[in-house]
Amino acid sequence: MAEMETSVRSGEHWMALEGGRDGSPGGRAWPSRFAAIGAYLPSPRLTTDQLMATTRYETDIELERLTGVRERHVVGRDDDSYTLAFEAARDALAHAEFGAEDLDMLIVSSISRHVGGVWRTQIEPPVSVSLKHALGAPHAVSFDISNACAGMMTGVFLLNDFIRQGRIRRGMVVSGEYISELGRNAAQEVRDVMSDQLPSLTLGDAGAAAVLERAPDSDGHIEVAGFTTLSEHSRLCVAFPSKIGPGTTMHTNGREIHRVGVVDAVPLLREVLDQAGLEFADIDYFIPHQTSARAIKKAMVEFAQQLGGTPRHVVVTVDELGNTASTTHFVALWKYLNEGRFTEGDRVMLLSLASGLEVGIIIFRVGELVEHYGHGR
Amino acid sequence: MGTVVEATAIATADEPVPSAIGLADAAARACLERAGRGPDDVQLLINAGVYLDRNISEPAIAALIQEDIGANPEIQPGGGQGTLSFDVRNGACGVLTGMYLVDGLLTSGTVQCGMVVGCDVDPEPGISEGFGFMAAAGAVLLSRDDARPGLTAFKFKTFPEFAQEFHSHVAWQEDPGNGGGRNMLTIMIDEHYPAHALACAEATVRELAIDTELDLDEVDLLIATASVPDFAAALGQRLGITQARIASLADGFTGAHTAAAAIAREAVLPVPGTSRSALVVSAGAGITVAAAVHRM
Repeated sequence: MAEMETSVRSGEHWMALEGGRDGSPGGRAWPSRFAAIGAYLPSPRLTTDQLMATTRYETDIELERLTGVRERHVVGRDDDSYTLAFEAARDALAHAEFGAEDLDMLIVSSISRHVGGVWRTQIEPPVSVSLKHALGAPHAVSFDISNACAGMMTGVFLLNDFIRQGRIRRGMVVSGEYISELGRNAAQEVRDVMSDQLPSLTLGDAGAAAVLERAPDSDGHIEVAGFTTLSEHSRLCVAFPSKIGPGTTMHTNGREIHRVGVVDAVPLLREVLDQAGLEFADIDYFIPHQTSARAIKKAMVEFAQQLGGTPRHVVVTVDELGNTASTTHFVALWKYLNEGRFTEGDRVMLLSLASGLEVGIIIFRVGELVEHYGHGR
Repeated sequence: MGTVVEATAIATADEPVPSAIGLADAAARACLERAGRGPDDVQLLINAGVYLDRNISEPAIAALIQEDIGANPEIQPGGGQGTLSFDVRNGACGVLTGMYLVDGLLTSGTVQCGMVVGCDVDPEPGISEGFGFMAAAGAVLLSRDDARPGLTAFKFKTFPEFAQEFHSHVAWQEDPGNGGGRNMLTIMIDEHYPAHALACAEATVRELAIDTELDLDEVDLLIATASVPDFAAALGQRLGITQARIASLADGFTGAHTAAAAIAREAVLPVPGTSRSALVVSAGAGITVAAAVHRM
């Protein structure tokens, strides 16, 4: 068992892998890198105290103490999933050295698809059609994907693969998550701390976009990307239209999904680090999925024990942003880029643990990306 | 060497209120059986279905299918590569979009075998408005083959000026007599959609032909679907492809939505080798058109 916890096996890999020792493509590969990260946070904020004051039942739940979530951004009257995604995409392009017309692929990865108002979820056409048109990206192959909170990471994985094999040069993945409405619905049904809708009370709204491009050299590129789905846990978190009002409800076995996520992530982290020839302590910034500050803290203790070290910094944004679903890693990246926290040589690891159970890991060097945000050299 | 279709399979409902996931499971299992493969061989599983049980928004339906068919549901030390699952949402073009992504990850060597499943059912029979598709699922299994060119070109185009002609959404409908209201699926397909889908498909195919120097007279088989009746025959006529070279959906399957692309393939697969090159076209809401050349 101890061996299992530190390595899936030697000489093979469980995850679908890009880069590293055994990852794809074999032989020559074009290096791929993040060209820009964009985000959009709606102005209104909702504190946890304000949200918990709206619960239908007296709950005595100390949500802020349990999760570390102090507040979250929530959409105002003029925003929905589409506008969050659109503004994030525009922000990303403003930091890139090329325009939307140069994009070869556009992927929309939102879980929430509220378009034309906050109470209407668009099924068809795919949201990417109108976004592509609005951004002015006529040459981009466009489509939507859905992979829960791992959606944007999945999009990065796909773009990285297509860039590395030379099929495309530039692509964007973008999400707009209007999900605070799940919190409003949960507030009508949550009775105690054991409620399966408790995690919905931590959600916040955000848009995020990541632009990838073929890198001119291997500096600042994505070193390894790995993804897998451990579907024996696929029914631990399920969301569907609400029965009690507009919008969606999400039902989560929060304790179990956190437990299996941490246990299963350990050998997969080891696998990706081995592929990159790295130790966990070689990571400068570790950005996990942002569900709760307490869950991240507990996971880091387990990772440190099992992997024999800790990254230099563990990024936590859930306290001020809440869990923003598929956008979390990229809103955190955008925040740190804008705040000038990174240097060019920093190595970043993104870890996605999402309903499915989706496990995605990406290791990259920040490189010249910092210069696009007024920092660096 | 190219990406080839190893097998296809379809599943239809024999109960009044079918489950989309159950149908997808059945199609996926039948597809694996035809290919002589086990579920653990599937390293990439993409669901392209749109109208699903309870309109589930997470997790990806592909993850649920993966668990049901037993494709690497848990880490197995020494068990080889696991499975990555996610959903593609590109309407009636979803299966072909999924095949494009599988082709990409097969070409790079990230995965060795991939499956795309399309399935649709009425999420809430008797409540949904405008749902006219048949309950059906289709699965396509893809891998690399040293001896055959396989899928050699793809083309995707969007025509947002027709976006409102095929539109669906879930929205809250007030209903004081029924607990205050309910979330309800509504699908609206405008009468002009079939003609515009046809024109958009023709334009896309002609661009693909120019890009790839494809002589439409030399296309042995046209496989075309757009969730409306008689689309393939009409597109064939516009492109000058004779009726004998058009794969038609079997009777009873003309109402299929995302699964139609897999179902149409099923119609031609029992006689492999009789067609040398196939032009595969899907048109759907957006209007989005996906086209591919498959050299068998």
